[in-house]
This record gives sequence, C-alpha cells and structure tokens, in this order.
Amino acid sequence: MDEREHLKVRDLLGPYVLGALDPEEEWEVEEHLSRCAACRAEERDLRRTHERLSDLAGIHEDPPPGLKPGVMGGLPRRGTLRETRRAPIFAAAAALIALSLFAVFSSSGLIGRDAMASATLEPTPRAPEASGELRVRADDPNARATLEVWNMPNCDKNEYYELWFGEEGGRVSAGTFKVDEQGQGTLQMSVPEEAGNYGQVGITLEEFPEEPRMSAAKPVLTGELEGS
Amino acid sequence: MRGIEDEVLVRRVASGDERALSDLYDRYAGLVYGAGLRYLGDRGVAEDLVQDVFVSVWRGAAGFDPGKARFATWIFRITRNRATDLIRRRRARVRMVGEDVLKPPHEPGEEDSAGKIARSFDVAAALSRLSPAHREVLVLAYMEGLTQREISEQTGAPLGTIKSRTTAALRSLRENMLPEEPPDG
Repeated sequence: MDEREHLKVRDLLGPYVLGALDPEEEWEVEEHLSRCAACRAEERDLRRTHERLSDLAGIHEDPPPGLKPGVMGGLPRRGTLRETRRAPIFAAAAALIALSLFAVFSSSGLIGRDAMASATLEPTPRAPEASGELRVRADDPNARATLEVWNMPNCDKNEYYELWFGEEGGRVSAGTFKVDEQGQGTLQMSVPEEAGNYGQVGITLEEFPEEPRMSAAKPVLTGELEGS
Repeated sequence: MRGIEDEVLVRRVASGDERALSDLYDRYAGLVYGAGLRYLGDRGVAEDLVQDVFVSVWRGAAGFDPGKARFATWIFRITRNRATDLIRRRRARVRMVGEDVLKPPHEPGEEDSAGKIARSFDVAAALSRLSPAHREVLVLAYMEGLTQREISEQTGAPLGTIKSRTTAALRSLRENMLPEEPPDG
C-alpha cells in the first residue's frame, strides 16, 4: 500500500464523515477504505464522534442575546459588593430622609448582629394594589435583607424587578427578582455596604437588555427605612 | 492551549467570580436553552429554564464535587430537574384553569430515550477542552454550518490545512469524550 496515499486519506477522514469532500477526493477516500482495514476502523470511530457532535449541533440553540445580562444581573447576592451605579433617584427623596441607614449600619451605637432597620413599602400608581415589607439585619460580615412583596404586577418576559437603596444623588442596587404568578415574592439578599448611606428604598420595574437605571418612570414600591 | 476546564471555573464560581459563571454560560447556555425548547416546547419557558439553571449553578457551586461527577453531568441533571419542575408547574396551571389548549409537554427522558441530550452535554464539555484552533474549526463546521472552503476563507488558513485540522479536531474530541454508555432503559 502506498504510504503517502494512506497518510493523505487519514487526513481527509474528518471532512469525509462530514460529507465535505469534493467528489474526486471522496472517490479517492472510498477506494482506499476498500483496501485499508486500519482506515476503515478509524473512519468508523470518527463517524461516531461526528454523529455525537451533530446531535449537539441539532440541540444547541443560541438563546436570545438579552437573556445573558438578565441572568447575570439577577444572580442572588453572595456577600460581594457590586458596582455602585450612581444616578439621580426619586426627586422628592431629599425632603423625605427620616433616618439614615448609615446610623444603623455604621455608627458605633447601633451596629451589631441585632441591629435592625425596616421599611413598609407603599405602592405607586403603577401598582396600586402592591405592598411590601423590607427588613434589614446587620449580620456579620454583611447586612442581610429580607424582602416580602404582594400583589405585584406580573413581569413580562423581558422585565424584572430591582430593589434599590438610595437618596438624592446616589443609589445602589441590592438585587433583582421576579414574583410568582400571584404577584408574591419572598427574597433574602446581601445588602451592599453602600446601602448604609441611604435611608430610602424603592423597587422598580426594569427591562433588559437595557441597563438597570432605577428608572424614574417605573417605581412600583417605595419606602423609608427606620431603625429599631 | 486548552480552554480552562469547567471544574476550575466552578471553583471560581464558588468563590463568587461572576466572570467564571459568564464563561460557563457561554459554554452551556445554548445547550440548556436548546434542551429547554425540546423539553418544554416554549421559548419563554425555555428562557426561564436557562435563568433557573444558572442561578442554581451559582448557588450550588460550593457543593459541587468534581470527584463524583463532571460538571457537564451536573449541569445536565440540574437542567433535567428544573425542566421537570417547570413542566409540572405548567401542567398544574393547565388543570387549574381548565384549559386543554396547551399540549402537555413531556417529562425529560420520555422523548430522550436515546440520551442524546445527556450525551450532548458531555460533547459540549469535551469541545471546551480542545485547543482554540480545533474548537474553532468544529464550531464553524457544525454549529455555523460552514463548508471547509468557507472556513478556510474565514480563518485565512489554506483549505488543505482546514481539512486535516478538521480530522485532527475530531480525533481530539473523541479522546476528550466519555465512552458512550448504553441509553437508560
């Protein structure tokens, strides 16, 4: 057997099982296979691999491009701080700061495992039936928040809710979530360190793939934190 | 240079590395989504499945034991279990509202007796372990459906090189895959 031909055909077995050779090359491979047991065995092995890869290609489907930012943005927080996104928030916030969370989280008198702050979340006209409660506990090493919401409007496929701590001039996201079919949700999340500087909380309806922005147009629930 | 192994990425995810999860998403989201479409028959629910699966990976990474299973096997099981949950929830909803318009989807496994989906997760894992040049030629041929000549034009490599590289890449993939098991009963 011609060794050069043998090596050449072995190199062509991949495109051969793919059906990607031109007719002349295909004939050359098949003619060689009829005489070479080693190449026939190799061709059988490569064809099985080709079939498994073809199965994968048949199942694989690219998800919508907007899905990944939604998935990554909706990850439950795990004690690591995320980037703080600064932007103007509720216009009336400055006048409504009843209590700074800073006092709860950062002052020497209140911080500790039992330090608590809570907010009753009141609906906006966007969701007049909705309500919620937020409780924040300054556990070590991170503050933890428990959020309960009721009667929230269901999100469309490309929408989600986002919880914010903020006041005029600054804000930070504490995480994103969706509610169940009854519009209810109970979530636990780590609170970003920066939240200790803010006394207001809000939940907004956001839409991906747009960058979450605590949109002034879509606040659903708002409230003020009070220490206990 | 080989791609970073899935199991290394999972360790990083366990330590809170979102970029590692992003890499795993790039490797497996298409397969989870495609499996979701087969299991659930609805694009919106398949998107929910992708979200559920990757949040589960994020939450469960610390408990993943590479000594017990490959990551590909683990994420396939998560996909199958979450899909089953979604199907049961959807069936309950269909019963609740008394509609019979929605065709009840099949439980994962009913339409996958040959185990194609399960095996495809293993192939995806093997694909991620190939060198970039080998992975590229197979992705372009199988996922993008390019001809050998088109791959040659796209990559700038001579046609003969692409042909022999395709063969070498298939051999390398074969060596990285788990041996085929008989399908589940």
